[in-house]
Amino acid sequence: MDQILEVNDLTKSFFSGENKLTVLDTISFSINQQDTISVVGPSGSGKTTLLGLCAGLDLPSSGSVSLAGIKLNALSEDDRAYIRNRYVGFIFQNFQLLPTITALENVMIPLELRGEKGLVPKAREILDRVGLGERMDHYPLQLSGGEQQRVAIARAFFSSPKIMFADEPTGNLDEETANKVTSLLFDINREEGTTLVLVTHNMELAAHTDRILQLKGGKLIADKQLRVV
Amino acid sequence: MQINNYGSYSGMEYIIKIKKPRKTLFNDKWVWRMAWLDARHNLTRLFLFISSIIIGIGALVAIDSFNTNLQEDINTNAKALLGADLNVRSNKVFEEETLALFDSIEYEQAMDVRFASMVLFLTPQGGTRLVQVVASEGNYPFYGNIETLPDDAMESLTQGRFAIVDESLAMQFEVSYDDSIKLGNLSFIVKGIVSSMPGTNVVAATFAPSIYISLEYLEQTGLIQYGSRYSYRRYFKTGTTEQADLLEKRLLPVIKKYSYSHSTVEDEKENMGEAFENLYRFFNLLGFVALILGCIGVASSIHIYVQQKKSFIAVLRCIGASAWQSFNIFFIQSMVLGLLGSIAGVLLGIGIQHLVPVMFGKYIPVEISVGIAWGAVLKGLLLGIFISGIFSFLPLSDIRNIPPLSVLRSDLNNDNKFSRMKLLVILLAILFPWVFAVIQTQSIRNGTVFMGALLGSFIVLTLVAKLIIFLARKFFPTGWSFVWRQSLSNLFRPQNQTTVLVVVIGLGTFLVSTLLLIQHALLNQVEFMGSEERSNTVLFDIQPYQKQGVSDLVRTYQFPVQQLVPIVSTRLSKIRGKTISEIQKDTSDHIPNWSLTREYRITYRDSLIESEKIVKGKMISEVAQPNDTIWVSISENMAETLHVDIGDEVIFDVQGVPITTYIGSFREVDWQRIQTNFIFVFPKGVLEEAPQFYVLMTRTESKAKSAAFQQELVTKFPNVSVIDLRLILQTIDQFMDKVAYVIQFMALFSIVTGLIVLAGAVINNKYVRLKENVLLRTLGAVKKQIVQMTLLEYGYLGLFAGLTGIVLSLLGAWGLTRMFFEIKFVPDYIGLLAIWLSVTFLTIIIGWINTRDVINKSPLEVLRKEV
Ligand SMILES: Nc1ncnc2c1ncn2[C@@H]1O[C@H](COP(=O)(O)OP(=O)(O)O)[C@@H](O)[C@H]1O
Ligand SMILES: [Mg+2]
Repeated sequence: MDQILEVNDLTKSFFSGENKLTVLDTISFSINQQDTISVVGPSGSGKTTLLGLCAGLDLPSSGSVSLAGIKLNALSEDDRAYIRNRYVGFIFQNFQLLPTITALENVMIPLELRGEKGLVPKAREILDRVGLGERMDHYPLQLSGGEQQRVAIARAFFSSPKIMFADEPTGNLDEETANKVTSLLFDINREEGTTLVLVTHNMELAAHTDRILQLKGGKLIADKQLRVV
Repeated sequence: MQINNYGSYSGMEYIIKIKKPRKTLFNDKWVWRMAWLDARHNLTRLFLFISSIIIGIGALVAIDSFNTNLQEDINTNAKALLGADLNVRSNKVFEEETLALFDSIEYEQAMDVRFASMVLFLTPQGGTRLVQVVASEGNYPFYGNIETLPDDAMESLTQGRFAIVDESLAMQFEVSYDDSIKLGNLSFIVKGIVSSMPGTNVVAATFAPSIYISLEYLEQTGLIQYGSRYSYRRYFKTGTTEQADLLEKRLLPVIKKYSYSHSTVEDEKENMGEAFENLYRFFNLLGFVALILGCIGVASSIHIYVQQKKSFIAVLRCIGASAWQSFNIFFIQSMVLGLLGSIAGVLLGIGIQHLVPVMFGKYIPVEISVGIAWGAVLKGLLLGIFISGIFSFLPLSDIRNIPPLSVLRSDLNNDNKFSRMKLLVILLAILFPWVFAVIQTQSIRNGTVFMGALLGSFIVLTLVAKLIIFLARKFFPTGWSFVWRQSLSNLFRPQNQTTVLVVVIGLGTFLVSTLLLIQHALLNQVEFMGSEERSNTVLFDIQPYQKQGVSDLVRTYQFPVQQLVPIVSTRLSKIRGKTISEIQKDTSDHIPNWSLTREYRITYRDSLIESEKIVKGKMISEVAQPNDTIWVSISENMAETLHVDIGDEVIFDVQGVPITTYIGSFREVDWQRIQTNFIFVFPKGVLEEAPQFYVLMTRTESKAKSAAFQQELVTKFPNVSVIDLRLILQTIDQFMDKVAYVIQFMALFSIVTGLIVLAGAVINNKYVRLKENVLLRTLGAVKKQIVQMTLLEYGYLGLFAGLTGIVLSLLGAWGLTRMFFEIKFVPDYIGLLAIWLSVTFLTIIIGWINTRDVINKSPLEVLRKEV
């Protein structure tokens, strides 16, 4: 299957009382496997909303999202959770590590959830890869923001997802750390051959990807292919 | 992975179900692992949860064990209390027919005659005292342990003119072996001292210490001629209850015919049970309150715990955990901790239960065992697990509604999905305390009323919370200063915990202050002799002509004459035109025999005394003309017993003279006051010339002064008897103090549970406000402003919730005293005020402690920690 993600006429509106706010307006695009694309646009343009829909965290008002050939609209929330666990990796602006378990345990969670065993050596390996070999038994609170995001990256790639969603992954980091985290993200992504969907308002970051989708006021206003794989 | 397309293909829409391995709580190892990994670092947050369980179950087990043990002890010791399987008692010598029947009975028998008399100690110290003389024959008591010094003292009674005296008497008058005492005309040599006799306890022994002699010397003492009151008793040893029942049937005809009294072991059990009735009830109420507080503690701490775990859960959902899996993680945590807490609670309960007999064992006529009441232990464990299950399920079910999208937007509201499971649990949550209340109170009505009151309070508090939110928003004072406005708006802004806190604080206050009020009413009941001016010395048998002299003597010692009451002995002769024997024959009216044949000691006066009040009719103070109708007043209870109403004719036999009267009023009499209370009160102008004697009540001060007074009284008025109540009052006081202590101790326990629940709710609330306060600090709010804001916010909550709880408790306690305890309701406003202020204060203090975290750390530190 070539197309990992297919978005058709996706519309999302919110109602507050009488008022209808259309945040995403008939958006359509598709992404091939191993593509890296970024979704850019000013704050409030609907990037995060789009990401949530693509990852099956939310349901559209109309239109559809197919992930790995499976139509997400038709699934129950628990089934979508199951799909996320199998196919999707996440990286968030505010890291979203579980505060009560160690870095190592955080990394292992998605695969443990699948019921896999004997994960510790592999998890150590990937933490080594992100440069946190010494800090695996630390709790998130004991790590800096950059370090936390590395753990989050390790966790996201650990389950070998088919597609990776990242929402402003460097938004909470200072520039220097952001650069390091960015190169780490793209390096690993290349090694693993994962499809990457990156949401950002930062054009510099977006420039790292092969293709750029530009959102404005809930509409897709541009779709630029920077590189051909 | 397999994907099944379930037929319906309509246009673009597939209905798809993914076939994935079915996971349940029991085969999903991952949720157990997560539960453990997460719990390791949450133990402090769960501490409040677990302590509600521990204390709630602890109190319940302690109370239940005590109840069970006391009941069992009464059951097993009832025989020893009676000393026999059956006894028959009469206030006159048994009739020939009866004696013949007794002689025909094959079981072992014993008999004695008991009466009050003055004893004279022929010892160096000397002295006289009113005692109960027990002149006995046979081996009574058949059951129970007699403790005497020497061991075989009882046997010596039959060997000569010997007497055995109660320990208290021996100590008071320094009587020892071989000393002489004089009863009537006869002197006896003391051959032993009794320290424990079945059927008597410390209180009884102090009231009337006994002297035991052999029945064969009774005649010679000459005491029998003086016409005082005797109790002739016959005891039977049948061995089994069944045989005692059969014997009772055989004896019933004579018992009825001659108006004897009789008791069986069963009666004794009932009497004992009744004596402890209100204590049981109070403990049952306490148990219920402890349980409910436990439930509230569990529900509120888990509710707030879930709030804090929201982002944690969202991440799990995002990574792919199903709704039930996320739920199960926390359900496992609460069940395991609930189980551990229950075990700890049971242990605590057993520990406390051991304290109770230590505290007042001596005053209960049976020895309280401290054995583990396994029933109570099992019940405690099961209840603990049940409570953790049901009352954590409710708040935990929110977990399933946390949308995974909240990883991207933390301010997202929960979906409000309806689930049948939740409905079922809500039903269980209502049903469970209800069933518990019914079982605990052993009455469907009372249990239902308890539960209804609780639900009602819950609803009222929820409404009050909504009202507070509504009012704060509606009448928001825009002109107030920043701190005042901010703290007020905290009550209604999104994520506010106003409803939860008001309900929890309010319910906690309600339960605790209800207990306080009930405790107050019970103690008030118990301290019936608490007043400073209570009488402690009673002089009786004062002849009318001695009235003046005796009162003068009392006054010369500067003792007050608190009451000087004439007493006339009468019997009933006709009620509503029917003679007593006619009424006795007519069994359809259920008027008990004793009430018809007994001697009524009545008085006459023109007004009410402090311990009584008119509940029906009118008190007539005087009969002016000899032929006027005589309206008498009767006590409410006796009117019920005798089936008489206002206007009914009652003819009294006043020592041979019939006096026709009519019931003029019903009086409610507080019999528990030490006062000369009467069933019948005549108006003035009727009985002045009838044979009568006076009773005088006074209060003596020092022991020495009292002794001198008694000495002079005995020489000047030899026929006047004195009862010195000081010793008795002291003993009763000590006993009541212990009872009060136990009541207070147990109530305190529940109050502590309440406070913990309350503290839990407020402490947990900290996590809700923390981020916001940090933000305010970042924006430049100074520490002082944040502290003030927090104090104000919690101040509002504490004040309103506490006040609502207290108002509810006034209603609750009023109802309880009326319907459940049947005692007088005495509101303790000072106590309530104290509770109100403490609840508010506590809420504020904990709120203030909560702000410490914000104030003493840099905003950045806190922000990083809590994001
Ligand atoms: N649950 C919601 N209810 C109402 N409005 C929403 C909700 N989620 C997002 N929005 C609105 O949708 C718009 C797009 O938001 P978002 O997708 O977060 O934009 P971006 O990520 O590009 O900054 C915003 O105006 C936001 O206020
Ligand atoms: Mg965004």
